[in-house]
Amino acid sequence: MNKYIFADSQSCIGCRTCEVACVISHQEDRSLSALDPNSFAPRLQLIQNAQVTVPVMCRQCEDAPCARVCPNDAITREDDMIKVNQERCIGCKTCAIACPFGAMNVVTQNKTVGSGLFARDETRALALKCDLCTDHQEGPQCVKVCPTNALRVVTPAKVEEVSANRREAAAMAAMAVS
Amino acid sequence: MKKITTVCPYCGTGCKMNLVVENDKVISAEPAMGRTNEGNLCLKGYYGWDFLNDTNLLTPRLKSPMIRREKGGKLENVSWDEAISFASEKLKRIKAENGPDAIMTTGSARGPGNEANFVMQKFARAAIGTNNVDHCARV
Amino acid sequence: MSNAITEIQDTKCLLVFGYNAADSHPVVARHINKARANGAKVIVVDPRKIESARVADQWLALKNGSNMAVVNALANVLITENLVDQNFINNYTEGFEEFKAVVEKYTPESVEKITGLKAEDVRMAARTYAAAPNAMILWGMGVTQYGQATDVVRGLAALALMTGNFGKRGAGCGPVRGQNNVQGTCDMGMLPDVYPGYQKVTDDAAREKFEKHWGVKLSPDEGYKITDLGHKVKDGSCRAYYIFGEDPAQTEADLAHLRKTLQAMELVIVQDIFMTQTAEMADVIFPATSWGEHEGVYSSADRGFQRFSKAVTPPPGVKTDWEIFCLMSQAMGYPMSYENTKEIWDEIRELCPLYAGATYEKMEGLKSVQWPCPTEDHPGTSFLFEGNTFSTPSGKGQFIAAEWRAPMELPDGDYPLVLSTVREVGHYSCRSMTGNCSALQTLADEPGYIQMHPSDCEKYGVKDQQLVWISSRRGKVISRISANERVNKDVVYMTYQWWIGACNELTIEHVDPVSATPEYKYCAVKVEGIEDQAWAENYVQTEYSNLKSKLRTAARG
Repeated sequence: MNKYIFADSQSCIGCRTCEVACVISHQEDRSLSALDPNSFAPRLQLIQNAQVTVPVMCRQCEDAPCARVCPNDAITREDDMIKVNQERCIGCKTCAIACPFGAMNVVTQNKTVGSGLFARDETRALALKCDLCTDHQEGPQCVKVCPTNALRVVTPAKVEEVSANRREAAAMAAMAVS
Repeated sequence: MKKITTVCPYCGTGCKMNLVVENDKVISAEPAMGRTNEGNLCLKGYYGWDFLNDTNLLTPRLKSPMIRREKGGKLENVSWDEAISFASEKLKRIKAENGPDAIMTTGSARGPGNEANFVMQKFARAAIGTNNVDHCARV
Repeated sequence: MSNAITEIQDTKCLLVFGYNAADSHPVVARHINKARANGAKVIVVDPRKIESARVADQWLALKNGSNMAVVNALANVLITENLVDQNFINNYTEGFEEFKAVVEKYTPESVEKITGLKAEDVRMAARTYAAAPNAMILWGMGVTQYGQATDVVRGLAALALMTGNFGKRGAGCGPVRGQNNVQGTCDMGMLPDVYPGYQKVTDDAAREKFEKHWGVKLSPDEGYKITDLGHKVKDGSCRAYYIFGEDPAQTEADLAHLRKTLQAMELVIVQDIFMTQTAEMADVIFPATSWGEHEGVYSSADRGFQRFSKAVTPPPGVKTDWEIFCLMSQAMGYPMSYENTKEIWDEIRELCPLYAGATYEKMEGLKSVQWPCPTEDHPGTSFLFEGNTFSTPSGKGQFIAAEWRAPMELPDGDYPLVLSTVREVGHYSCRSMTGNCSALQTLADEPGYIQMHPSDCEKYGVKDQQLVWISSRRGKVISRISANERVNKDVVYMTYQWWIGACNELTIEHVDPVSATPEYKYCAVKVEGIEDQAWAENYVQTEYSNLKSKLRTAARG
């Protein structure tokens, strides 16, 4: 079973520290100074409406609709999570439409490839979603920085523990009826 | 690389934090186990230090004393000696003409700290001779 | 604050009044969450559905400007329903009968029109507050930035007094101070009426002590406040202004008036780290070291002294603040010199009994000392008033009641909306520091937002994300609409750090008679749509670049 990041709306205060941590974690040199409003694309996004405040991100679905619909097999399940192989992404946005959480963000980047006479601008597409900061030795950075501990990694063992507790509670409730 | 334990400069909570310094430049900030923040910071604590690198995103850092010789003129860079004597001569003249209460001073509730404010109010009360001392507590 | 911030976790009831922890102190919001998890009841009194209101047990969405009426109604319920701690009132307080006489008529039913709150809701809140074995009240600028602020603070303290909520862990009152060292500037006597350690300048014994220590005669007269400056300059009695580390041309109310005052001064000295809009108007600029480049002690909102440290070398050409004051003092004929901040701190300890035991050694590393700390073997004080002895001449808690007063400038046909100024989580004060930080500037930049209820947007014909004009009797600025269901109708909210969307061009210089804090939370404005949005976007960008380039040019000298 996949692990994923869960956000608790009861604890979230909407400060967006997680968004910044996410973007920095995915910068090439993880530097703060490279941030700019035009390319700021966090893989989790704060939703703040009349009722709720909470960041929304990929749930690492077991039967991931994004992976099923990708025409170029860029999205696969690996190491207990759903991964995007950006080299294969063609920017068709089918995954973004398929995701029931709106957690896939397809962006384009302009990049100069080749050098000298052969240099040319190329538009590259990226399908961005939570990758659990697998490249970061400290693990998910949003979880690390949240000042109210509203974010946590949910592992299969944790899901089982919650379910076991719920079964326990259900059994006690049943006893009350009899 | 070294880590300097300090206090976040951004609100009254008083979060303890470490500044990670490499080659005399801050490269990151991390929370410390302070009495109140217990190993946590908010976004200003985590990401509010790079102004120290004079990013010039909004305003330039002041690096030289400046004076405006006459009203309507331009601010110009001068030496510390010249700036101090320009300012103190003017203050002395105003004090001589109108008394010390013609001079107002306000302190800083932000980065400078308690010692700097203590010395400023001492300057106002002992050197100028006025209790015209206040600060931006109300904003 | 009467209690340590960490004691929030120990309380059984939190009354959060005009205080938005999520935006002003995220780490305090964390403690509020913890209190909830520990079973505390949370009551939030705020016109906006702030984050704490969203998760509170009860949210009282009062009308802006009705604080005193709500506090009096809460007191009325506590008294008439006999929810008070009569023993505490008899033994440790004074003035209860007079207080009672004033709040007697403030039944929640009678003030429904003023407060906008159902009487039953006010009653329920009072009962919850009284039922807790220990309760804390937290307030912020939603209380203090009104023309009637001190009265409301006294009223909130009265709620705590009549229910015996002082002198124990997790019970008390907490004005959660905004800026990192606003508690410290007060502690250091940056006030016209007190020396460091809250010793009155009019008290002969205190003055003699300072005179003896400093070897100079001191003025026995209280000075004037920053808010008195306008008329002091106008009548010619103030000619010079030494501004240390702040940007009044951004943060004061009614900026046009403030600029006139600064321009009329003969001499303005600004000591700062950035070329702010205030610095640009100065006659003398002293460039100082920044946080990160010098060391010292800050006081947190809960009276905690903590040491901060130098991490990097300052740029060449700047000096430490206290060195600059020493140079000025020397030049003025009063020699003053120190080796380091520790020497200054030791002088402070010597002069202030409240801080005498708070040595640098006791604040080493992560440690913190909360005053009062009278002796070196004293551990400091987490909560005040132990044994129910108060810092009044009689040692008893004082009940002081006041009638509700309406805000100064009510909306009318010309200016039909109320403007209240608020905070932005990612920016601090005038934003001279945070505006120069990449991440914080990425999250929020000019011209900022004006938060407006969607039904008002419809009423005034403006749409989410559009640029609009906002004007009051004092000024006119441009800002961007944020259609926001969390704010109440007929009121708009703006954050105060923007240059283009500078809400303080609009605010009114109507101050509380005691604290002299302006009524930043209430003035009348109108909002007008802009037909040509492309022009407006361009206008914002052009104005912003012009201002930045003006300050850059000035800084070059």
